Amino acid sequence: MIDQPRGDLATKQQTTASRLILSPGGRAATALLLVVFVGLVFNADGAFFKSATHRDALRQASVYGILACGMTLVIVTAGIDLAVGSVLALVAVCCATMAIHWNWPGWIVVPASMVIGGLCGAVSGTLVSRQKIQPFIATLAMMVFARGLAKYLSGGSKVSTAVKQADGTFEYVDVPYLFRLIDSRVLADSVSVVTLIFFACATISWIALSHFRWGRFLYAVGGNEEASRLSGVPVTWARTLAYVWCGVFAGIAGICQAAQEQQGDPEAGVAYELIAIAMVVIGGTSLSGGRGGMMLTTLGVFTIGYLEKVLSINAVPEAWRLMLTGVIIVIAVQTQRSRRA
Amino acid sequence: MRTGLKLVSVMALMLFVCGCRTDPDSNSAGTAKPPAQGDQANWTIGMSQCNLGEPWRVQMNADIKAAADSIDEVEVVFKDAQNDTLKQRSHIEEFVNAGVDLIIISPKEAQPLTEPVAKAMATGIPVIVLDRSVLGDQFTCFIGADNKKIGKAAGEWIKAELKGKGKVIELRGLSTSTPGQDRHDGFVAGIAGSDIEVVFEADMKWLEPEARKEMDSALARFDNIDLVYAHNDPGAHGAYLAAKAAGRQKDMIFVGIDALPQEGIAYVKQGLLGVTFQYPTGGQEAIDTAMQILNGATVEKQIVLGSRSFTPDNVDQGGAAVK
Repeated sequence: MIDQPRGDLATKQQTTASRLILSPGGRAATALLLVVFVGLVFNADGAFFKSATHRDALRQASVYGILACGMTLVIVTAGIDLAVGSVLALVAVCCATMAIHWNWPGWIVVPASMVIGGLCGAVSGTLVSRQKIQPFIATLAMMVFARGLAKYLSGGSKVSTAVKQADGTFEYVDVPYLFRLIDSRVLADSVSVVTLIFFACATISWIALSHFRWGRFLYAVGGNEEASRLSGVPVTWARTLAYVWCGVFAGIAGICQAAQEQQGDPEAGVAYELIAIAMVVIGGTSLSGGRGGMMLTTLGVFTIGYLEKVLSINAVPEAWRLMLTGVIIVIAVQTQRSRRA
Repeated sequence: MRTGLKLVSVMALMLFVCGCRTDPDSNSAGTAKPPAQGDQANWTIGMSQCNLGEPWRVQMNADIKAAADSIDEVEVVFKDAQNDTLKQRSHIEEFVNAGVDLIIISPKEAQPLTEPVAKAMATGIPVIVLDRSVLGDQFTCFIGADNKKIGKAAGEWIKAELKGKGKVIELRGLSTSTPGQDRHDGFVAGIAGSDIEVVFEADMKWLEPEARKEMDSALARFDNIDLVYAHNDPGAHGAYLAAKAAGRQKDMIFVGIDALPQEGIAYVKQGLLGVTFQYPTGGQEAIDTAMQILNGATVEKQIVLGSRSFTPDNVDQGGAAVK
């Protein structure tokens, strides 16, 4: 600071810059850049610079991301939905049964799968908002129930293209067109279709949260339930719908999971809810409700997606991956905390 | 409240409809066969499975059921411990209290289940231990396959197929689990003395989506991959899907283990895998041995099951025995 006037100017610019960095979006972006930077340094003999690596990182994060889109709305209301992983498995099983075994066309399978997911969400939502059961407990019950139902419907084994006949032999059928379509890539192989589905889900959730009255209601409910009830917010209705929304998105994620695995696995999606919650929280949406948003969650999805990819291309042993992921989540959330907290 | 009730009833209706559409045979592995008719001498066998969440164990129960169904005087009661050691321990106690004639157990882990098994033996009930063992010698008979031997057979097959030279990806089940370690150690022994180089290895936790993720990374990192050795068939299938998405599935061979009819064997028939090695469930052998014991014969303490390899050339003939 020898040159006074220039220093002044620099300080002013710095404050604008630091304000940007310290905003929730800036903090989430910083966490993402940190992970990308680690990737640039540990690039696994240049694998990180290949476009296919980034395409695959986004594809792998997409199923979690779709869950996180629904989860954001529930978390904004100060709730939580632990059932999404199980609902994903249930829908994957139903979807594979409809598409592979019954050979139903995609335009029936997709809406039907979303309805199944939505119904699960509706049950959780009703339990939470009408029966006043705590979200943790209500969705925990749904998590166990949906997993059981998935196992029951599939008979405990995967619903695959090997269809068991009455005499115990297997007949091999083709992978349905719907599954091939979802697991394909567009734009000269540069983007996976599941990534586009994630972007679409993120956009729809963003519009719902920030441009619709219902979205405002969700923030109000999460911020102060009693105050919003007194000011005429339809609390029960708004909250139930958030869980339905989350269930529908878990359904969409289930379709994507089944399409990518080419089968419906009743054991799929174990602990996916935790990854989805981590994505939302790393983005900067507060678990205590009323604060956050879809843009932040999208950054959180990228952060975790890239973290997994960087660890994977470097073939980091499992034990180290778990420890590093734990440490990095803490660092990311710590950078994310706003000054008020 | 009314809307809530409506939703619940719609949900219930849906469940009912879905339930009716499933094949009633598909979940019969979990239920016991009704007792044989008449007053003939009936043997009741109690079967405690550690975790029916794994397809291979579903197959084991199905094999036991199929073998038992062909014998009139045997009834098998199945229990699933859902991967919980203490639950499995109470299964043994329940079987003893119910006075079954013989117990088959596929234990989750050795140490905590050794004593319950020994106590059952002390009451005079013979116990057959399947797949994973218990400690000591307080059981009638152990039936299991040898993962090291299977891993070694896979390694030797790979050595011959690649003519002793090439770049290999190893997708490990779980490096902290015994089958994962054995399938790895056997493989290393099998390729010993060749110029085969394992360029990338990762844990895929026995799961197909994880295998696909790890394979994506391997593909991004290496332009030349000759073969993928996965510790189970879903892992090999996940790797195949990743390579196919990159348009490189024709450049490499995929090797899996387990050879379940609806998984590994199906993949070999469809031409996705170059070979899969059977990890036998021992279901048939367990019932055969049980009948010998119940009829008063003495059986060997350790029965090691053989494995079979299935390639596109021999899969329709039922595979070839692994030496």
